[in-house]
Amino acid sequence: MKKMRTIIIFFVCMLCVACEESANIHLSTEETNLIVVEGIVTSENTNHLIKLSHTYQNINGIAEPVSGASIEITEGLNNYPLIESPAGSGEYYTPIMRAVTGKTYTITIQYQSKTYTAQDSPLPVEPLPTIQYYKTNNQYSLSLSNYGQDANFINHSISWKNTPACTSGICESKVVYYDLKTIDVNEIFKPKKEDLLFPVNSTIIRTKYSVSDAYKSYLRSMLSETEWHGGIFDVQRANVSTNLSEGAVGFFAVSTIVSDTTMVLE
Amino acid sequence: MLTLLTLLSHHTVHAQNKIPDTKITVDVNGIALTQLLDIIQKKSGVSFSYNPNKISSDQKINYKAINKTLTAILNDMADQFALKYMLVENQIILKPEKKPEKKQTQNITFSGNIKDKKSGEALIGATLIVKELQTGSVTNAFGYFSLTIPKGMYSVTCSFIGYKPYTTTVDLSYPIKENILLEEEPPLLQEIVVVGELHDVVKEIQSSITNMRPKLVEERPALLGEMDVVKSLESVPGIKLHSDGSTFYYVRGGNRDQNLLLLDDAPIYNPSHMLGVFSTIIPDAVNDVNLYKGNMPASLGGRLSSVLEVRTKKGNDQHFQFWGSTGLISTKAGVEGPIKKNSSSFLVSARASNVGWLFKQADKNIKQFNFFDLTGKVNFKFNANNQVFFSSYTGSDNYMNNTNGLAWSNTAGTLRWNHLFTDKLFLNTTLAAGNYDYSLYTDVATNTKWSSHIGNINLKSDFSYFIKPENELTFGWSINGYNFNPGNLKSDVPLPNVPTLSVRNSVEFVLYGNHEVKLGKHLGANYGIRLSSWKNTGESFEFVFDENRNPIDTLYYKKGQSYSRFIRAEPRVTLNYLLGDQSSIKASYARNVQNVHLISNSVSPFTSLEVWLPSSINIKPQIANQFTLGYYRSLPIKGTSFSAETYYKKMYNQIDYNAHAETLLNPLLERELRFGTATAYGLELMAKKDEGRVHGWLGYTYSRAKRKFADINNGATYNAFYDRPHQINLMVAYDVNARWNLGMNWNYSTGAPYSAPISFYKYNGEEVPIYGQKNNARLPDYHRMDLSATFKLNKNPEKRFKHSISFSIFNIYGRKNALFINYNKTEQSDGSFKVPTNLLESDRKASQFYLFRFTPSFSYNFKFL
Repeated sequence: MKKMRTIIIFFVCMLCVACEESANIHLSTEETNLIVVEGIVTSENTNHLIKLSHTYQNINGIAEPVSGASIEITEGLNNYPLIESPAGSGEYYTPIMRAVTGKTYTITIQYQSKTYTAQDSPLPVEPLPTIQYYKTNNQYSLSLSNYGQDANFINHSISWKNTPACTSGICESKVVYYDLKTIDVNEIFKPKKEDLLFPVNSTIIRTKYSVSDAYKSYLRSMLSETEWHGGIFDVQRANVSTNLSEGAVGFFAVSTIVSDTTMVLE
Repeated sequence: MLTLLTLLSHHTVHAQNKIPDTKITVDVNGIALTQLLDIIQKKSGVSFSYNPNKISSDQKINYKAINKTLTAILNDMADQFALKYMLVENQIILKPEKKPEKKQTQNITFSGNIKDKKSGEALIGATLIVKELQTGSVTNAFGYFSLTIPKGMYSVTCSFIGYKPYTTTVDLSYPIKENILLEEEPPLLQEIVVVGELHDVVKEIQSSITNMRPKLVEERPALLGEMDVVKSLESVPGIKLHSDGSTFYYVRGGNRDQNLLLLDDAPIYNPSHMLGVFSTIIPDAVNDVNLYKGNMPASLGGRLSSVLEVRTKKGNDQHFQFWGSTGLISTKAGVEGPIKKNSSSFLVSARASNVGWLFKQADKNIKQFNFFDLTGKVNFKFNANNQVFFSSYTGSDNYMNNTNGLAWSNTAGTLRWNHLFTDKLFLNTTLAAGNYDYSLYTDVATNTKWSSHIGNINLKSDFSYFIKPENELTFGWSINGYNFNPGNLKSDVPLPNVPTLSVRNSVEFVLYGNHEVKLGKHLGANYGIRLSSWKNTGESFEFVFDENRNPIDTLYYKKGQSYSRFIRAEPRVTLNYLLGDQSSIKASYARNVQNVHLISNSVSPFTSLEVWLPSSINIKPQIANQFTLGYYRSLPIKGTSFSAETYYKKMYNQIDYNAHAETLLNPLLERELRFGTATAYGLELMAKKDEGRVHGWLGYTYSRAKRKFADINNGATYNAFYDRPHQINLMVAYDVNARWNLGMNWNYSTGAPYSAPISFYKYNGEEVPIYGQKNNARLPDYHRMDLSATFKLNKNPEKRFKHSISFSIFNIYGRKNALFINYNKTEQSDGSFKVPTNLLESDRKASQFYLFRFTPSFSYNFKFL
């Protein structure tokens, strides 16, 4: 029987002789040196992080931080100046604040005589679905699926630092599940993702983010160029949209969030 | 006496006695008139009296009368042989009649059909040459010819590639309607050097046309043994296939939706199976294939870049035959035969995939993995002047796993009536319909699917008036009705917040006229005009957008209400100037208009979601102006030719897309479209050998395809995806002996352009590319060699049961021809490439995706004739 299966797999492979392998392709990259804005102000009452960096030229490159910028978030008459911490990190924190549904938040970044602006408004967020994971080879894997009516994404911060399984290396991972409620053939037939396994007693912190229409549009185009890219039904490549002015890239988002924490049990 | 004289002058004489009503049948060829009179005398019992010195016995004549009265026969003979007759004392007295001079130079029409001797199939494009006049005719799409020349005795030669030439003497003393049967050439031919023969490519006025006979397709090595008409186009200079695994093709810098595929006049919108790995058009049921590369006759239109006209076989009207084959991918079978010998026949051909069970065994999630084709045709010849054909095609693909899947189907049907008003006026009236449905299942359990549709029905009449040899007028009209569903969601369960996209309906009226004429010894012209009137009709709604593409109004049209009318004229002209006997130059201009538009921003080689929309408020008709100039030469070896053709094409109202356009379930779909121009130019060289044991061609193409859109690439010109400047095609078939045939195919082209990142940035753990100029990089060059060998298992070629096995190797040297280059995946321990899940750590690499390296296959074929 095993022999038969091998023969069948051979024939199927021959019929689907699609293969992907490492390519020695030289990229004609350019020093675009654009400003990248990455940050989400959420409904959590805390210091929110806005990261500024430069674009980089090579795959897996290191993004140089943009330090010394002056950043302010405004909502109506309220101003929230941001402070870079630590200095030179390109990481800027708001004072303790929370985003309120229905209000519009504007970010203004001044850097090297240019002023970049963007704005976004948070939408309400639906509850988190029940977490689902399954056991495989004495480890665990997340089971992710769409839930609810509204576009959203869920960040999963998984840590097994405090378990005996953490013997070396980084014992944590970040998994993001996007559920944009769009119909895109490149999403439906997106390329396979690598397996991610974590041990028993891992801690999973889930944070679900609401997504405004503009943010949804950004995420859709960003995913078309990242997670959804490389399947059999690809779409034309193009630059990802942004809500930032003056040629900056990235997105300034404002979201309502809901989160929970789960310990993975046997 | 006066009355008698008057009657005599009209040949028909009712003299003193009554001519008997006897009905007789006479069918003679190449005999003397006096011999014919003897035969009639014996059969009718009457006796003839004539002066043997005055009735020619040298001239050889043909005469046919089936169950005719003696009076009718005498009238025929009086007309045809310049006689007058009278009945005197039960004897028919014959005298030669002196006719006015005008009658001596009277033109007579020789018409009929040229057919395959064994099957009765029409031979489309067969030539008929009158030796004495050095003029001739070519059979039309139905195998019909008509030649009107001065009365006389002529030596006429009929020829068609792959068939033995047939020469006969024709006595054109009276109109002749005759079927000429050509016999297939034995497979082994001696190389013959013929000087002075005028080759078709040189003489025919039409330019930019490629004929793909089914035999040619069969000789070509095929992927996994699946012989394929559409895939064969990749070997034609000027045609670029998207890539391996695709049936999308691009003609002279035009986009893929600018090619019309007509199967017996019915459009096939997506001729692909297994996502495009194979096409729906297999040679088994095909009689003839013509590809017009933008310079179509005025009777054809509706697309900017090409028309691929496929004519199916009508079915063998001589005897029954069946055939079949099986290979790794599919099993095919067909049967054809006479319903009534010589006058009606049928054909049924089917293909079903074999691979479903294989895939199911390998992956239990797969529920359906299959495709099929079914082609049928019947024809009835009611009399010499009326023949009716009905053909149909249906094909479908289904690929489903537990959760989602794809399915599409094409259906087409054609009812055709061929009618001869006179020997010189031919009418083809066609009612044809084509439908294409595409479904993307997003949830198989609830039958939730996104479905799009395009369908059309067409009624047309095409008239051919054969004025004189090499002087033919074609004209006609057509009315086309279209129905478009740009994709809506359906489900067995209620779906909240699902947008609805308006279904559209359109009507098109077309009038055309085309005149092909030889103007003197050297110059020939083919000119015509096609007038089209397009309008949309309700019930539908359309959005109105402002300059920033924000919707500002919705227009609702009641059922039957007309809107968005476009009237366009498409003039076309080709001039052919013969440079002696062996070469010619041709120049042409053609304007084409397209009112149906494929909306897809996919770059996948595979059949992805297909949305078609009509010209309307937000989409103007696409227009192309194409100029060509070519040099054509026949070479000393029989059947060899060389051609060089240049073209320049300018296209307007071309469609491209907003970045990451939402083309599915988007009611505001039209605001995702961008409009601009495209320019294509090139040089196509081809050396071809059609006959002999070794035959094939070598082609080279230099071509460019560029696009310019105000809203894309900052308004700068960019290379189209199908801009691949250099292309080489080599196709060779070798008949080793009576049982072995070898085939070889080699294709090379410059790599396709794509947009490569110029830098990256990080966002929420993802590495996001930034692009510079659109299509700023190229995939590695494409090249591939395929080989095939066919061995006939019969030692005795005369046996009715014939079978063979075919071996083929696709991509023999295993070239890794990249379809995509990706920059977003990580290499796994098993060597596979996947998108990273853990966004805290990833080691992304550039990877390339390719299909079909060194793919061997075999198939078994049989025929029972």
